[in-house]
Amino acid sequence: MTLPQTPGKAPAGADDIRGAVLQFLREKTLATPATDQDLFASGVVSSMFAMEMVVFLEQSYQVTIIGGDLKIDNFRTVDAMTELVLRLRDASDS
Amino acid sequence: MPEPLASERAIVGKLVGDNAESWDLAGELPVTMLRELGARKLLCTEAPASYGGLGSTSRQGGEFTAYVGSLCSSVRSVMTSHGMAAWTVQRLGDPAQRGSYLPRLTSGQLAAVAFSEPDAGSDLSTLRTEIRPDGDAVLVDGQKVWVTGARYADLLVVFGRYGDDAAAVVVPTSAPGVHTEPVPAPLGCRAAGHAQVRLDSVRVPASAVLGGGGQSLPLLVTTALAYGRISVAWGCVGILRACLSAAVRHARQRKQFGKPLAEHQLVARHLAELLAAEQVSTRVCEHASQCWDSGSPDVVVATVLAKHVSAGHAARGAAAAVQVLASAGAQDGHVVARAYRDAKLMEIIEGSNEICQIILAQHAMTISD
Repeated sequence: MTLPQTPGKAPAGADDIRGAVLQFLREKTLATPATDQDLFASGVVSSMFAMEMVVFLEQSYQVTIIGGDLKIDNFRTVDAMTELVLRLRDASDS
Repeated sequence: MPEPLASERAIVGKLVGDNAESWDLAGELPVTMLRELGARKLLCTEAPASYGGLGSTSRQGGEFTAYVGSLCSSVRSVMTSHGMAAWTVQRLGDPAQRGSYLPRLTSGQLAAVAFSEPDAGSDLSTLRTEIRPDGDAVLVDGQKVWVTGARYADLLVVFGRYGDDAAAVVVPTSAPGVHTEPVPAPLGCRAAGHAQVRLDSVRVPASAVLGGGGQSLPLLVTTALAYGRISVAWGCVGILRACLSAAVRHARQRKQFGKPLAEHQLVARHLAELLAAEQVSTRVCEHASQCWDSGSPDVVVATVLAKHVSAGHAARGAAAAVQVLASAGAQDGHVVARAYRDAKLMEIIEGSNEICQIILAQHAMTISD
């Protein structure tokens, strides 16, 4: 469930990813959380929405989030999702 | 456009033949037929080619599922459970686990997925099945109910607690401590091999815990159910196609008051509503599959919507088909009688009508001011 990124475009950095995740959250939940805010504890998102985040991140950054990475902690905050994408992208580059 | 998986349809059409009625009456499918479907990769057409599958798209697999559903909902139901097991391995398993299990699920071994327990149905947060480390193995203890296909399965994907978190573990049904007891007389999908499964200190290698375990239970369940829901949704499209076809055939041939039933307006209305139900359900499933195939985050809600809409239409459409056929269809095993019972179960499994409505209502609350 991934598409190639635009050729020649520099890979997104941490700030770009954080910004895109925040924008997606704003569009989908009408909320603007802090990047270290616990999205589940604060009721911003449900486990159904966590699945949407999985698909969104896979689609946007050409990563595959499977196996042990499907932990709620990886989706708990905007920062955690950003770190997950960076880590998975590094792993697929190496 | 040629029908997707056309030669595969011919194979399954030949294997099912006109046996759906007798399988329903007997409450059992020939396991050799299921193994042949599995060996031909037809119980999970979407499994990637790199792991021995056909690598079909969700749309292709969905249309194929609808075709199987139009022939026999018990076979389609086994397909849903097996396909969900394959999807769960693909999604939760590490590369070694995918490489170990998926080729088995595309070469004739049969799998089923075990969620529900005596006290945990819609609310799976109350699962009691426990998976606990024991050296280089894990021990699995618990009681699962209504496991579709478990009667025929070689492997069970069992969901349970894993410390404070959750895990899915692959358990061979041949392992000591696995006890399988068929559900005596299910209302619908009577030959789908629903069974109660008791797991008494079943020891399997730690490498059978998908992705190493420690995942979030809601995320695990949501992941696995997504596949089950789209599969059930397409299966309901198949039920509606079978009902529409049977109702039209009968309304054309049967004459009362000097003319065919189809020329009686109150009967014709049933035909119109059946056509509308089949078309609406097809479109909502196509949309959800399109979301799967394009990687749209809307897939999560679109899949619940497809399941909810299609199951409701199938239940009402099957009731209308029985009404049109009347005494001609009011006999166990008949295509519309099966549809009537099978479709009712589709309003219950993989998220009941009410659970789907709650999810859709929550979605509505987040998208509107």
